[in-house]
Amino acid sequence: MITVALAKGALLKDSVARFATAGLDFSDVLDPDNRQLMVPSKCGSARALLVRNGDVPVYVAYGQAQLGVVGYDVLKEHQMPVAHLVDLGFGGCRMSVAVKEESIYKCAADLPPHCRIASKFTNCARDFFDSLDLPVELVHLTGSVELGPITGIAEAIVDLVATGRTLRDNGLVSIEDLFHSTARLVGHPLSLRLDRGLLQEVVDSMRT
Amino acid sequence: MALQPAAGARDLIPQQVKKNQEITKRLAEVYKLWGYEEVSPPRIERLDTLTAGGGIANEDIVRLVADEPLGLRPELTASIARSACTRLKTRERPLRLWASGTTFESRVAAGGGIYIEENLQSGVELFGVKNISAELELLSLLLESLFKLEIDSSHKTKLLLGNTCLMDLVLENYEGKIRNKIKHNLIDYNKIGLEDLEIDIEKVNGLISILEMRGPASEIINKLKEKYGEEEPIRDLARLFKQLEPIAEEKGVILQLDPTFQPHFELYNGLVFQLVCEGKSSPVVIARGGRYDKLVASCGAKSSEAAGAGFSFSIDAIREQITTINKDILVDNNRTLITYGPQSSLEDAMVNQRELHKNGITAVLELDCCNTLEEARSLLPARNCQHIKWLNN
Repeated sequence: MITVALAKGALLKDSVARFATAGLDFSDVLDPDNRQLMVPSKCGSARALLVRNGDVPVYVAYGQAQLGVVGYDVLKEHQMPVAHLVDLGFGGCRMSVAVKEESIYKCAADLPPHCRIASKFTNCARDFFDSLDLPVELVHLTGSVELGPITGIAEAIVDLVATGRTLRDNGLVSIEDLFHSTARLVGHPLSLRLDRGLLQEVVDSMRT
Repeated sequence: MALQPAAGARDLIPQQVKKNQEITKRLAEVYKLWGYEEVSPPRIERLDTLTAGGGIANEDIVRLVADEPLGLRPELTASIARSACTRLKTRERPLRLWASGTTFESRVAAGGGIYIEENLQSGVELFGVKNISAELELLSLLLESLFKLEIDSSHKTKLLLGNTCLMDLVLENYEGKIRNKIKHNLIDYNKIGLEDLEIDIEKVNGLISILEMRGPASEIINKLKEKYGEEEPIRDLARLFKQLEPIAEEKGVILQLDPTFQPHFELYNGLVFQLVCEGKSSPVVIARGGRYDKLVASCGAKSSEAAGAGFSFSIDAIREQITTINKDILVDNNRTLITYGPQSSLEDAMVNQRELHKNGITAVLELDCCNTLEEARSLLPARNCQHIKWLNN
């Protein structure tokens, strides 16, 4: 039986729609009354695990799920050994450096050495500032990162930006993008190598 | 809080130990039948031996605080290869050796701390055979060993095979950074990474088609012949599969040839394989191996003898898969509890125990005096004994 890991939240509806194109109907997970975390497909040949965003690559890397759908931002942050199979195109957003609107810093390289950067994505932020040869102090926050510059805990933040409204509403402005992120279909490498066609069929259907 | 073992360290209970011993014993019996001799490599090695041949990254080794760079062995092969090229260098080739023992690997845990993974392994090494004959013997021995472990078709076992020479054929038209990128993406099964490469789309599609090559080995070998011609690695694979297919079918093992399967590390330079069982929730690798001529050369073997190949079973992984090992082996059903009453003494009980031991009977002393036979009998389940010896005169 194929097990897929689906991220709760913004990507769920589109993920279910794409698996439906491969003949796997997990629409039960979209039922507002559903409280089950392991949901069988309508055909009974697969099941979906409903997990948090950051846990999708974990379930796939350990082989408990052969396939999963998660944003590129999460994959880049967690660096788990999973196979990147298809760029599904939906869930587009940017990983950006943002500062207060009135800030004098116009790009990331303008930030002073050893300044504080608040982020939920500290690995992405570290890689980015390392690539600029700019030493910074990273402050790990788990949410409401926009408060960083407002409260003064950090000069800048590194966070996901979709429409930019949250930044604007909190008086922040994006000054540089780290990368663009979309939802990715990922797989367990060993399961894919042992596959005799079943997983490949699903992957091919989701590619189109 | 009670004291805990170090993260990742094995801390086995008696039944697990018995099962491990039984598995190791059965494997040793097969190795000996095939003429392999046991060696006992050291648990502690110099770092340059452990990292010879590129088999393991420095950070994966558990290092010791010492004046010279030392570490705990992360696998057995490097130590055995060193021994084969030094103390055993005058022995005739082919040299067949086997060993079992614990290995230690350092990992970064999800929480960020260090996690020392301790594993019991058992495996064989075959030195001095440069041609495909070594792989023919080793893989036949691997499948034979599997049979002795009672791993059958119910475990849906698959033997996944690749060959670093096939990867070299795939990469023959690429050089420099682009070659490395393609290789990494193929090993990682990263299709998006391949699609993002700045090379012709037809070449990308060609690489993806090789990555996705699946099916019966004969079909894959024919496809490879069409693409790359009658190259030696492809001819060798055809010969190997011809030999293995009937044995695998008999043992209920599925053979899976995957042209792009190989680990990231540089140890292997030829055939590479993993034996994988279908676990309760995910695939479990129970054995792995391959050819490592470069490692043998780096240990100082002369070029005519710089050849080695081997495999290693992960005993702990197998233990969790096998439920069929005879329960009589795991549970001693012939234990006698020696008890004594107020009219006798512990010294009398010990005399009696010696008599039973002489006859090969497991006899366990009840150290405290019992008031009655009934009281003594009531202790049998707690002491895990089936028989009682009561002394009271």
